[in-house]
Amino acid sequence: MKINKLIITALTFGVFATACSEDTIDITQGDYQGGLLISGEGSGAGTGSVSHVAEDLSSGTNFIYKTVNDKELGTFLQSMAFSEENAYITVDNAHSITVVDRYTFQEIAIINTNLEHPRYMAVVDNIGYATNWGSTSDPNDDFIAVIDLITNTVTKTIPVGMGPERIIAHKNVLYISHKGAFGTNNIISVINIDNDTVTEIVVGDRPDELFFDENNILYVLSEGQTIYDADWSVTGHTTASISKINTTTQAILNTWSFAEGEHPSLLAMDGNNLFYFLGTGIFSFDKADTSLPESSTIETGYIYGMSVKNNRLFTLQSSFTALSELHAYNLNSGAETGNIKVALGASKIYFN
Amino acid sequence: MMRYIFSLLCFLADLSLYAQNDSVVNALEEVIVIADKNVQQNSTGYKVLTLSDSIISNNRTSFTSLIRFNSPIYMKENGAGGVSSASFRGTSASNTAVVWNGININSVNNGQTGFNSLTVNLIDNIAIRSGGGTIKYGSGAIGGTIHLNTTLPFGYFSKHSLQTSLGSFQTLQNRYKFANSNTRFSLNFGIAHNRSENNYKLLSTPFENVNGDYENLNTNFSFAIKTSLYSKIKFYFTNYSGERGFAGELPNPTSAKEKYQNFNNRVLSEFEFSKNTATHTIKFAYLTQEYRYFEDRDMEKYDFGNSTRRLFNYDFTYTFNNSTSIESFSEYDSNIGDSNTLQKHHRKQFSQALIYKSEIGTQILYNLKVRKDFNSDYDVPWVYAFGAEYHLSEKLKLRMNGSKNYRVPTYNDLYWPELGNVDLIPETAKQAEIAIEINNKQLQLDLSFYYIDSKNKIVWTPNGDPNRPNKWIPINISKTLNKGLELNLKYNRKHHHHYFNLNLNYAYTIATDKTKKKSLIFVPKHLTNLNLAYGYRRWNTFYQFLYNGKVFTSEDNIDILSIAAYDISNIGMEYHILKTSKQQLSAGLKINNVYNEIYEVSPRRLMPNRNFNIHINYKF
Repeated sequence: MKINKLIITALTFGVFATACSEDTIDITQGDYQGGLLISGEGSGAGTGSVSHVAEDLSSGTNFIYKTVNDKELGTFLQSMAFSEENAYITVDNAHSITVVDRYTFQEIAIINTNLEHPRYMAVVDNIGYATNWGSTSDPNDDFIAVIDLITNTVTKTIPVGMGPERIIAHKNVLYISHKGAFGTNNIISVINIDNDTVTEIVVGDRPDELFFDENNILYVLSEGQTIYDADWSVTGHTTASISKINTTTQAILNTWSFAEGEHPSLLAMDGNNLFYFLGTGIFSFDKADTSLPESSTIETGYIYGMSVKNNRLFTLQSSFTALSELHAYNLNSGAETGNIKVALGASKIYFN
Repeated sequence: MMRYIFSLLCFLADLSLYAQNDSVVNALEEVIVIADKNVQQNSTGYKVLTLSDSIISNNRTSFTSLIRFNSPIYMKENGAGGVSSASFRGTSASNTAVVWNGININSVNNGQTGFNSLTVNLIDNIAIRSGGGTIKYGSGAIGGTIHLNTTLPFGYFSKHSLQTSLGSFQTLQNRYKFANSNTRFSLNFGIAHNRSENNYKLLSTPFENVNGDYENLNTNFSFAIKTSLYSKIKFYFTNYSGERGFAGELPNPTSAKEKYQNFNNRVLSEFEFSKNTATHTIKFAYLTQEYRYFEDRDMEKYDFGNSTRRLFNYDFTYTFNNSTSIESFSEYDSNIGDSNTLQKHHRKQFSQALIYKSEIGTQILYNLKVRKDFNSDYDVPWVYAFGAEYHLSEKLKLRMNGSKNYRVPTYNDLYWPELGNVDLIPETAKQAEIAIEINNKQLQLDLSFYYIDSKNKIVWTPNGDPNRPNKWIPINISKTLNKGLELNLKYNRKHHHHYFNLNLNYAYTIATDKTKKKSLIFVPKHLTNLNLAYGYRRWNTFYQFLYNGKVFTSEDNIDILSIAAYDISNIGMEYHILKTSKQQLSAGLKINNVYNEIYEVSPRRLMPNRNFNIHINYKF
């Protein structure tokens, strides 16, 4: 037994030594620099994972974290955040944020204390801010974990309203959409990171994606809620909307409201255009438009993730029982330019 | 042979920890007389595997591992002690019915039985019947049925049995059974308590199994009275209450907080009248099930589900001559279920079955069965089954069967909040099997080939209903084809004071999704288990082996999403300190996972490392 241990220790050291020496040769680059990173939530069929895909979708590698580190991330991989060098992978069920080199995917640390159902993270300098649902049995314990990204530890928490979801940082202020976890909420929390004061802006039910434009205007998609009776028959809906918010005054400048019963999702922004998914297609409109478009720009079928960059549209046709598909479209021509198999339960697209 | 035994003893003595298992090998000497009469009678042409009390006793730690080590069934388990289900011949968990003293006890909510939410310590006998055509036990069992039977024999005896065992991970089990009978009365009582921290080390990781603890208490009380020369009354009662944590999974098992409680009560009364050529049996059963699921065990808040079932059936059998009989079986089943998110639903079903049994000459036995259900929730098709046996010689028999079966959608499928689909129709399956059986005193062999063609399988599909975008909806979509072979080989040898016994199961399964042209997930192509037992005078030893082939967990069958094949071995021994006709006292040791194999049966959930269990068994 002891001899075995010695041998294993010796081997481990060997591996470490090799790994370290390789690292020093190749500090800034890695196999996964450039291209797209696709995160998949995983499911009972398998672990949450990250795929790397060339930007023209001509090639790709799945399960890159597992390949590099011989470990699984667990379920459900909710999102990723990035600093200049690192990627921060948030896994909800594992209550963890895994820190990797964003270009090599070599694991650096796993943060798994003082997190509970972490969802999304924003990075400001050397500090991470991660939204957490807390116990899903308790609507009053939701919080933002403040993480020192030098030591990779949670240094404090800031209590917020129920079900914090997306978080973005803009000029030392954090904006958090509260979709409401397993319930429903309708607020944007605004946190001044200099003094942790929290204020709230009320928007439509179930706010999710949010973006800033170059004029410091905040756009938020609220999906609206379906209302059921005790027998789970649909009795009504709350209105879905996209809100345009002046963040200096916190005044709502405009609200694009959807028709009763429509529940859009997956807001994206590219230049002056806003994009969302509804039914079986992607709709787009100029942010100067006063009304929502009547017909879709591209019919994609059901999708679970979407991103738009330089007039190119990327969509995820997700499967939770097999690999998903990433599709790319040219928005000028409307033509599909490629597709490739990516992560199980693929949900997010990032440009690396 | 003695040399091996001796070295085995030395090996055991070397271990500083004596933990262990159970009373091993009375199995060898025990003649199994009481295979469930009904199961056997209804299974002409089908394979029935019987597990006696001593086999049950050797594997008492969990129902899941009992089935896993002693049958061709594949057990899917969410880590040791977690949610567990059984799959026959590559069919799904809800295609396996668990039948308690003749009553199908699968949950109405998910159509399955959780094999770690009941115990088998008190069960006297288990019969495992492969294949569909189960007519009298409901129609849903496309894969097969597992029968849990309480025996109530008549005769003059009174027997107490006390068993206590202590194992690794603070596992403690205690059981008391009492049976008493005379020629007109038979009583069977039992109480069993199990608890474990189940905090085994997750080999190759810095963690141990967190939040996997369990505790349960089970009571059985049954009796039978011969009220007259022609009539009998039987009564069965069982109560179970259990609580367990759902262990965390890698890479961060420490965050696990879920807890599950379940409470079952089952009452069955039976009246039988048999005179000359006619037999009448009336049964009434009342069953309640309740579960509570705590997402966070530190909080008071929980989800729950309840169901109450009343079942009434009447069976009439008329025998023409010694060899031909016709049987009518009528049943009314009323099932009321609700949960914190589901309103009360009341499913009512009336069923009528006809069974004809006969012989051609003395060599061919056959039966024909039909059943029609009338269900309050949806239309159900006719089902039929036939079975036949051709006795080529005293030792050689051919058997064959064919059937059409269906499985009704569960309450979850139909009524799950936001997602249920009330337009579902039952899954249907047609199947056929042909087999050869060899039986002589020492060797028994059963080799069967089967084929199951299923359609309208219910699959929860993302965006399954275009009117409910972004939702997972169960729909009738998949078509599957399962084919394979099953082998069971038994060998018994007794020579002077030496006993030797071998029991081997092997299953080869090819289960395919016909549309996707891929293998079904969680179906191993190869599965085999072997039990060897050797006894000499007061000593008994046994060895158990299991090989479980690779299973895919994703529908596209990619290797990175699969669970590797594994093989594990357990050994055990027992010494009879007292062995008289009136008193038997024995003590034993069992070592599970002797080779300390690192393996998982479910993704990211490692199974227990080498562990020990000691037991004392006293019968008087």
